[in-house]
Amino acid sequence: MSTQLKYQDEEEANGETGGRADQARTITVAVAGNPNSGKSTLINAIAGTRLHVGNWAGVTVEKKEALFDFGGRKIRLVDLPGTYSLSPYSQEEIVARDYLVHERPDLIINVVDSTNLERNLYLTVQIMELGIPVVMALNIYDEAQEKGYRIDVKGIEEMLGIAVVPTSATRKTGLDDLLKTVLEVADAPKRRVPKKLNYGEDIETASEHVAKTFKISYPALLERYPQRWLLLKLMEQDSHVMKELNLEDQGFLDQALSHLRRAHGDDIESIMADARYSLASGLTREILHKPELRQTELTEKIDRVVLNRFLGIPIFMAAMWLLFKLTFDLSAPFGDWLGSMTEGPFKRWASAILTPLGAPDWTVSLVNDGVIAGVGSVIVFVPVIFAMMFFITFLEGSGYMARAAFVMDRTMHAIGLHGKSFIPMLLGFGCNVPGIYATRTLENPKDKVLTALLVPLMSCGARLPVYVLFVAVFFPNNSSTVIWSLYVMGILLAVLMGLIFKKTLFRGEAPMFIMELPPYRMPSLHSLCVHTWEKGKHFLIKAGTYIFAVSVLVWFMLNLPWGVEHKRDSYLGQAGAAIAPIFEPVGFGNWEAASSLITGVIAKEIVVGTMGEIYAPKKEEQEEVPTLQEDLKEIVTSFGAACKSAVSTLLYLPGEEEQEEDLSGLKLAIQGGFTPLTSYAFMAFVLLYMPCVVAIAAMRQEFGTWKWAVVGFVYQTALAWAVALIIYQGGRLLGIGG
Amino acid sequence: MGVTDLIIAAVIVGGALYLLYHSLWKKKGHCQGCETGSCSKK
Repeated sequence: MSTQLKYQDEEEANGETGGRADQARTITVAVAGNPNSGKSTLINAIAGTRLHVGNWAGVTVEKKEALFDFGGRKIRLVDLPGTYSLSPYSQEEIVARDYLVHERPDLIINVVDSTNLERNLYLTVQIMELGIPVVMALNIYDEAQEKGYRIDVKGIEEMLGIAVVPTSATRKTGLDDLLKTVLEVADAPKRRVPKKLNYGEDIETASEHVAKTFKISYPALLERYPQRWLLLKLMEQDSHVMKELNLEDQGFLDQALSHLRRAHGDDIESIMADARYSLASGLTREILHKPELRQTELTEKIDRVVLNRFLGIPIFMAAMWLLFKLTFDLSAPFGDWLGSMTEGPFKRWASAILTPLGAPDWTVSLVNDGVIAGVGSVIVFVPVIFAMMFFITFLEGSGYMARAAFVMDRTMHAIGLHGKSFIPMLLGFGCNVPGIYATRTLENPKDKVLTALLVPLMSCGARLPVYVLFVAVFFPNNSSTVIWSLYVMGILLAVLMGLIFKKTLFRGEAPMFIMELPPYRMPSLHSLCVHTWEKGKHFLIKAGTYIFAVSVLVWFMLNLPWGVEHKRDSYLGQAGAAIAPIFEPVGFGNWEAASSLITGVIAKEIVVGTMGEIYAPKKEEQEEVPTLQEDLKEIVTSFGAACKSAVSTLLYLPGEEEQEEDLSGLKLAIQGGFTPLTSYAFMAFVLLYMPCVVAIAAMRQEFGTWKWAVVGFVYQTALAWAVALIIYQGGRLLGIGG
Repeated sequence: MGVTDLIIAAVIVGGALYLLYHSLWKKKGHCQGCETGSCSKK
C-alpha cells in the first residue's frame, strides 16, 4: 500500500497551483485527530455517509473514504483511525501514519476536540512535522463555549501558520466554512504551510547535525519521506522507521544524540515527547482562557457515581436490565402484530396467488410452511432487535459505553486480563463479527486471539429471537430479567474463560490500558435513527438472504424422502434424532430441538426459523376465509392496537400490564416440548454453543489460520453443554422442576 | 412427483445453495454491518 511518492523540496511544494487541470482533479483530504474527537461524525455530517460513530474511543479501526462534490470540486475525505500520537505503538497509529507519510494527501483536516485542547494539540504538533498543509477543525466548539472557554482562533492560526475553523459536527455548524477553507488551502497551499515549530536549541542543533550527514549519505531517502518528520523520527530512533530504512551506518545518529542524552539525562524518546508536550501545553496556555471559577461539570458529577469503585458494576448491570426492559416493553406488541400477519394473511395471500397459477401443492407448502414459517419466525423479532440497537446506540452515543468499558477494565485487569479487550466485547453485543475485527486495536497478538475467542460469548442480536420466543412462553412476567441474566452469564463466562486461557494458552502480563472518558452527550435523534438502522438492517438483509435460503433447504430436508408422513422420519428429523441423545442429560433431548441446533450453526436466529418450520401446523380447512379487504383492515387495526399497547406499557397505564398473552402457533408447540427449566438450559446453550459461520470465517480471515476458529468451535460447544448440564441437573436437584 | 416437479425442486435447491454460498462463504467473514462498523478488510 505504500506508494513511493517523491517528496518535493519545501519551496517547490509550496508553490501556488491553479489552472483547469487542478480545478478538475479530486482533492484528497485526510481527516486525522484524537479518538472521539468527532472525525467520523464530521465526515458523516459533510458527506452524508454513514460511518460507524460512537461516543467512545477506537470506533474507527481502519481508514475509510467518502467522495463528494463541494463548490464544483470533487473532494475525497479519508477518515483515519483516531490516534493520540504518530508513534508506531498501535495498529491505529501505524495505519494513520503510513497513510499520511506514504500516500501524502493534498491536505489534512486535523479534527481537534475544543474541550480537550492540550491533549489534542500534541497530535497537531506531530502532524505539522509532516509539512502537509493543515486545516484545523476546532470541533465540539459549541460545548467549549457552553463551558465558558474562550479560544483565540486567530492566535492559533498565527502561531501555527495553519487555517483554523470552529465546527460542531453534531450540530452541523461551521462545516461550509471548513470546506471553503479546504478548497482555498488546496488551491494555494503556500499560504497555509504549517510553521516549523522550534523544539528547543538542543534538539534543533542535533537535528541539523543529522540532516547534514543524512543529506550526503542517503539523499534518495529524503525524497521518499517528509524531511522534518524523517529527521525527527531518526532522532527518536523510531523502530518502525529504522526497520523501513534499514540504515547500514547509524554512527552519525549516536554522535548527534549523545549530547542530547547527556544534557537532558533522559532517553531520547522521552526528550522528544517532552518537547512536543511543552509546545502543546504552551500553546494551550496562550490561546485558551477558561473561566476561573468553574462549577463542577455534569459529567464529573455523574462519573462520581457511575465510576464509583463499588457502585460501578451494579450500575452497569442495572443499565443493562433497564435496556432490556425498555426494549421489550416497546417492541413486544409490534412483534405480536408481525406474528399475526405471518401466521394469517401472508399465508392466505401466498395460497391465493399460487393456486390459481397452477402451482403444485408442494410449492404452496414450500412457500407457506418453509419460507413464510421460517423467515417469518425471524422477521417477527425485527422490532425487538431494532429497539435494542436503538438503546445500545443511545448508550454508545451518550458516552456511557466508554464508562462501562472503564468499569469492566478495572475488574478484568484485577484478574490479569487485558482491559482494552472489553471494547471489542462490548461491540459484540450488536454483532460478534465487528467485535472480532475490532481486536486488531490490541497491540499484543496473544491478546488479539484471546479476545476474539471471548467475543462470541457476548450475546449478539441474533440470539435475541431465541430468547424472546422462549421467555414469552415460559417467563412472560419476568422476560427482561431472564434475558438480562443470559447477557450477564455471557460476560461472566467470558471473564472466567479469559482467566483460564490467560493461565494456560496465553500466558503473559496484561499491559496497562489508558481509557479515554468522553463527556456525556445527548445523541441527536437523527444520528440515533441512522445508526440504529445501520446496525439493524444487517438482520433484515440476513433474513432476505441466508435465512431465506436455509428456510428453503430446511423445508426440503423436512419433506425428504418424498412423501414422508411424519417430520421425525425426514432427513433433518433423522439427523436431529441421531444427535438428540447428546442433549438428553441437558434436558432437551428431543429431535426438534436437536435439529434446530444443527441449522442454527449457520446463524443463531435460524434456530427459531427451523422451529417455525418443524412446528408449522398442518393445513386445516377453514370454515370462513377472510377477504383481502378484511385482512387489510385487520392489519391496520391491529397495528394501531400495537402502538397503543406499546405506549401504555411504557407509561405504565393501568389495565395494560397484567394481560395474559394468548399463546398460539409456534409458542404453543414449544410449550409442549419444553419446561421453564429446560427452556432456560436451551437458551444458555444457544448463547454459548459454537459461533455462527460468519464469526468463524471472520476469525479465519483475521488470523490467517483455521486453528483458532476450530479452538473457538470446540471450547464453546463444550462450555455450552457443560453450562446447560449444570443448569438442568442443578435445577432438578434444587427441585425447580424439569 | 413428476419430472417437471423434480426440475423445479432442483432449481430451487440450487438457487438456495447459491444464495447461501454467495451470502456466507464468498464474503469471507464479512457481515453487512462491516460496511459501517469497524471490520473493514485487512
